[in-house]
Amino acid sequence: MGKIYEPSLPKLMEAIATEARGMKGLDRRNFLKGGIAAVAGLASVQIIPKASASPNLPPNLPKWQSHLGPGVVSKPYGEPAEFEDLQRRTVPWLTVDAASSISMTPLQDLEGIITPSGVVFERYHGGIPNVNPEQHRLIIHGLVERPLVLTMDDLRRFPSVSEIRFIECPANGGMEWRGAQMEALQFTHGMLACCEWTGVKLSTLLAEVGVKPDGKWILAEGADAAGMSRSIPLEKALDDTIIVWGQNGEALRPEQGYPLRMLNPGWEGNTSVKWLRRLEIGDQPWHHREETSKYTDLMPDGRARRFTWVQEANSVITSPCPEKPLKQSGFVEIRGFAWSGRGKIKAVDISFDGGVNWERTELKGLVLPKALTQFSYRTTWNGQPWLLQSRAIDETGYVQPTLKQLRDERGGWSIYHKNSIHTWNVMENGDVFNVQIS
Amino acid sequence: MFRFLRLIPLVLVMTFSVIVSAGPLGIGSVATPEMIAGWDIDVRPDGTGLPDGVGSVAEGEGLYEAKCASCHGLFGEGEGRWPVLAGGEGTLDTLHPEKTVGSYWPYASTLWDYIHRAMPYTAPQSLTDDETYSISAYVLYLNDIVDDEFVANRETFARVKMPNEENFYVDNRPDSKNERCFENCADPKAFEIVTTINGLTPTGHFKEDSGVAANHYDGNPSAASESGISKVKNDTKIVLSDKANLGKGVYDMACQACHNPGIAGAPKTGDKAAWVSRIDQGMDVLNGHAINGYQGADGVMPAKGGNMSLSNDDVINAVAFMVELSR
Repeated sequence: MGKIYEPSLPKLMEAIATEARGMKGLDRRNFLKGGIAAVAGLASVQIIPKASASPNLPPNLPKWQSHLGPGVVSKPYGEPAEFEDLQRRTVPWLTVDAASSISMTPLQDLEGIITPSGVVFERYHGGIPNVNPEQHRLIIHGLVERPLVLTMDDLRRFPSVSEIRFIECPANGGMEWRGAQMEALQFTHGMLACCEWTGVKLSTLLAEVGVKPDGKWILAEGADAAGMSRSIPLEKALDDTIIVWGQNGEALRPEQGYPLRMLNPGWEGNTSVKWLRRLEIGDQPWHHREETSKYTDLMPDGRARRFTWVQEANSVITSPCPEKPLKQSGFVEIRGFAWSGRGKIKAVDISFDGGVNWERTELKGLVLPKALTQFSYRTTWNGQPWLLQSRAIDETGYVQPTLKQLRDERGGWSIYHKNSIHTWNVMENGDVFNVQIS
Repeated sequence: MFRFLRLIPLVLVMTFSVIVSAGPLGIGSVATPEMIAGWDIDVRPDGTGLPDGVGSVAEGEGLYEAKCASCHGLFGEGEGRWPVLAGGEGTLDTLHPEKTVGSYWPYASTLWDYIHRAMPYTAPQSLTDDETYSISAYVLYLNDIVDDEFVANRETFARVKMPNEENFYVDNRPDSKNERCFENCADPKAFEIVTTINGLTPTGHFKEDSGVAANHYDGNPSAASESGISKVKNDTKIVLSDKANLGKGVYDMACQACHNPGIAGAPKTGDKAAWVSRIDQGMDVLNGHAINGYQGADGVMPAKGGNMSLSNDDVINAVAFMVELSR
């Protein structure tokens, strides 16, 4: 912990640096323009701050201190500072229409494990319905003793729970299955968010309706234009599924299912049906479109896995990353997120040489089951190239696999559940590129 | 009289709550069979949920061409990048797998369920049960799973067997086993470092001086963030008429799916060259085509964009919106 990293394989890293210089296809001019002095080898890198004549800098009196600012409730609902650029972004060529598409969370800009509601990634199959909560109903029926229709007021009368849990699209990283594609953390890992969710446990609602003995599956259905539907086994429902109306201290955002959604902690995001209007208890799964045609994992032999619910342990370094290059030589805290759909993160390791040698990192802050977990490693960077990797281990003992291990099992066509170790190539000038080692 | 009538439902609800024993917490109201019937739309592989009704391949052909072909192609080949519905047999274990209804979907019931709940894309749950049977039958026919004589109803449809059904199996992960090794865990001499392909990533938000807005992709105007037309508006500072302003909401709901990307021969909104000859025909002709549908050498326009719940005025306003942005 906290030790200074010395390149253990200087020859290797030199070779990597040489190779990186010859990278094809990268437009590196833009990255070299910004006043960054690149110095070869292990010499120190210095960034010369642009000469600034700002009258706000010491020893001058800043202009914002010389007069009164706006008073209370100048903004009844606050927003980020005007200098911040926190926003969801999408990859327009990915999908054909915005109403059935996905945007990504700006992981590179997040502080701590809670994703602000306004930048939680979006995934819609038929756009965002504008649901009036007074006219919204949840019907629970099928193999039950007492079919019920519940208003939002009814739901809030039940004993509630609040849990911090991640939610992740199973296609997170899917663009990288066959090769490195995305030159930004937001696009390689941004179909991911972690919020505090408030609602009633589904087991509480099921006790209220009384599930009949042959009830084994639950169809969850949304009130959106896609009528989004997924089959959930009763075991999950009785374990930790929550029917959610609150997110990060306020009502759910429309993008996340206002006024009511399901949350299946640790499971692929689209099982957590948004704008939830109906739960039907049955004795078999329904095999609907989003669990047959989509969200099944095609294997190299042409067969496919179904009901691939769990999001296995995964991790990524968020600083540095392509959007947040190293700008200064000397001390650096390498930071990142790890998460596992099977429980708590037990440890995260880090490699500077593409996975040849590994060091233990420190977990910091809250370490919660099925939640983003922060890791940290303190070291010194003096302009040496790195092939940075992180490797998560969860409480079941599962070790995040290498890309090669995943491809050996699953080929390159399964789209979903790519949780392999990710590589950032840190260049001598501090720029960071997405690469794959095979 | 009016007051008296309003009391009746209350009395009914109270009667129900007396008859049906309450749950442990006694929260909520009885979901009546009528309520459930309206929302219980799901269909399962064993045929549970399939309603009465009937539809043939022959009837499905016309319906498909009017309501589906503009996105999915006349033969299920997919227009632009909309889903391909037919073909792809024998490709699943190749380097270019094509997952279609025929090559991949394990159950025919899924087709009925999905078409009924979510299609046409711009007008979900607008098809009747008979129409759903017909279109489902036709899509099966496009995949050579039924012949052209096939007539779908609850019994015949539940008997349809899909060719790829046996090739699905339940998740068997964890499948890869990594070790928590710390030293000499890989052979650096065997490393092959693969870099990204230039131009795929929207990087305007972190490349200095790139001049590309954050969520645009390399300045491609069709890739604008929202409705795809914001760029056009910004460039030309068009002031929309009241009619066109009313039409914008309709456009976003029913028209943009085809008119933003310009698929199925639909002229792209804002593409003056594509619109000029159309606008020259006069608004009456354009409105007529939009309301009643149009099929010509250059493309297919489903009546009201496939959303028959739109009024004629809605459609006329949306046409005004597109025309004003495109001349």
